[in-house]
Amino acid sequence: METKTRIILICSGKGGVGKTTLTANLGISLARQGVRTAVLDADFGLRNLDLLLGLENRIVYTAQEVLEESCRLDQALVKHKQEPNLSLLPAGNPRMLDWLKPDDMQRIVSMLTDKFDYVLIDCPAGVEDGFKNAVSASKEAIVVTNPEVSAVRDADRVIGLLNTHGIKPIQLVLNRVRPRMMASQEMLSIEDVTDILALPLLGIVLEDEQVIVSTNRGEPLTLTGSKSPAARCYSNIAKRMQGEEIPLIDPSKEGSGIRDKFRRLMQTKIF
Amino acid sequence: MQRKDSCLQTIILPVSRHSDWRESLKRQINECEPGLLELDCRDWSLSYKDFMNILTLLEKFHLKINLIRADIPETIVSASSLGLQASLNIKQPQCSTSSITEDIAKKKESEPLTFHQGTLRSGEHLEADGDILLFGDVNPGAKVSAGGDVLIWGRLLGIAHAGKRGDINSKIVALQLRPLQLRIANKVARGPQEKPEEGLAEEALLESGQIIIKPARINSLRTA
Repeated sequence: METKTRIILICSGKGGVGKTTLTANLGISLARQGVRTAVLDADFGLRNLDLLLGLENRIVYTAQEVLEESCRLDQALVKHKQEPNLSLLPAGNPRMLDWLKPDDMQRIVSMLTDKFDYVLIDCPAGVEDGFKNAVSASKEAIVVTNPEVSAVRDADRVIGLLNTHGIKPIQLVLNRVRPRMMASQEMLSIEDVTDILALPLLGIVLEDEQVIVSTNRGEPLTLTGSKSPAARCYSNIAKRMQGEEIPLIDPSKEGSGIRDKFRRLMQTKIF
Repeated sequence: MQRKDSCLQTIILPVSRHSDWRESLKRQINECEPGLLELDCRDWSLSYKDFMNILTLLEKFHLKINLIRADIPETIVSASSLGLQASLNIKQPQCSTSSITEDIAKKKESEPLTFHQGTLRSGEHLEADGDILLFGDVNPGAKVSAGGDVLIWGRLLGIAHAGKRGDINSKIVALQLRPLQLRIANKVARGPQEKPEEGLAEEALLESGQIIIKPARINSLRTA
């Protein structure tokens, strides 16, 4: 059982590319497929995975208390109400940054491996201590990047570091893709990105305003059963992680159907 | 264990000017017993096709190649492109009349060639006192610097510095030359704006104090 648990680091290097959003949505999608999933916020300094999942007000204990042995692991785990297969292990308070060591991270994760099939670790931005802690406990990784030069550059750096830590396999998620800008070559194309990063592409996520709405509400898109483009992309990625073969979406064909056009028209604010 | 007991067989090709390697290879194969084989290509420049022929020939005699040795990087590259394990003979003195190869032999003895396999990613820096031969890409943000030449069997998208200790005869060769910046000795140049032609290997060198880029010559890798 223990060896079957997949411990996946979700990282990017650059901030704001959508690591936490991806973690939250994948967590929900996986849980919905019936696998026991834990999401671990390794971004101790600036934690907000709990916000995205709408679990902020239910946190009593954190990983810090578990490590200090002042509470049990199942006391600290916050179960999601609608998706009981999903649990969040909140990070400690920001002061934890100072004393957390890679060993501590490994201890937390090894406690989780008995109880869960998937452990998703939301990695902090950057390549400093927080990143090193998170990497030390991971086995696989998903690198999130946006189709822009700076995000790709940082992702490349992170992939180099992941390689030196022996993380395998490393897969790529291309987030915030705007089909129109790609078609007009104002944005890096999918080939441009995969050409440099040379990683298998796990999925593409389309740019979607609904993501912002869902973040503010604390309800990940995949939870509400939304049919928005990004929600579809997220659940496709989760299915691919489970071994289902789902073809990648073709951005050039997105939004050209009559239904999509109608939906866009409805969303356009004329006044 | 078995490999050690059966004593690895070695075929050494004759030095190129003496005779044809094909005949010599056939003659030597007849004397071999089925099993693993080490092939020393000496200074023969063998192509991918040559190795394909060698492999089919060996298969008939139930021989398998364990290691390819060669004096020149070109042969090593073709051998590794077929997934064969290959190793460069560095210290071996070369007996060739050609003045160019004699120069290389001298150079080789003082500065060994550094091999690196795998892509250099952003933030990584490969540095060596001698020449560098790299199988893989140099991504944007990565850097290679060598005391001698920089030879890249892949794309150069980052920064390359050849002759970092002031050797103005150093050069930079890549299958696709699209660097951010090129440095040769103490000269610095920004990379070209336009994309190079597909499938055209290029080299950068110093000509009258300026870094210029031109199509790579066939022996660029050899004269390293």
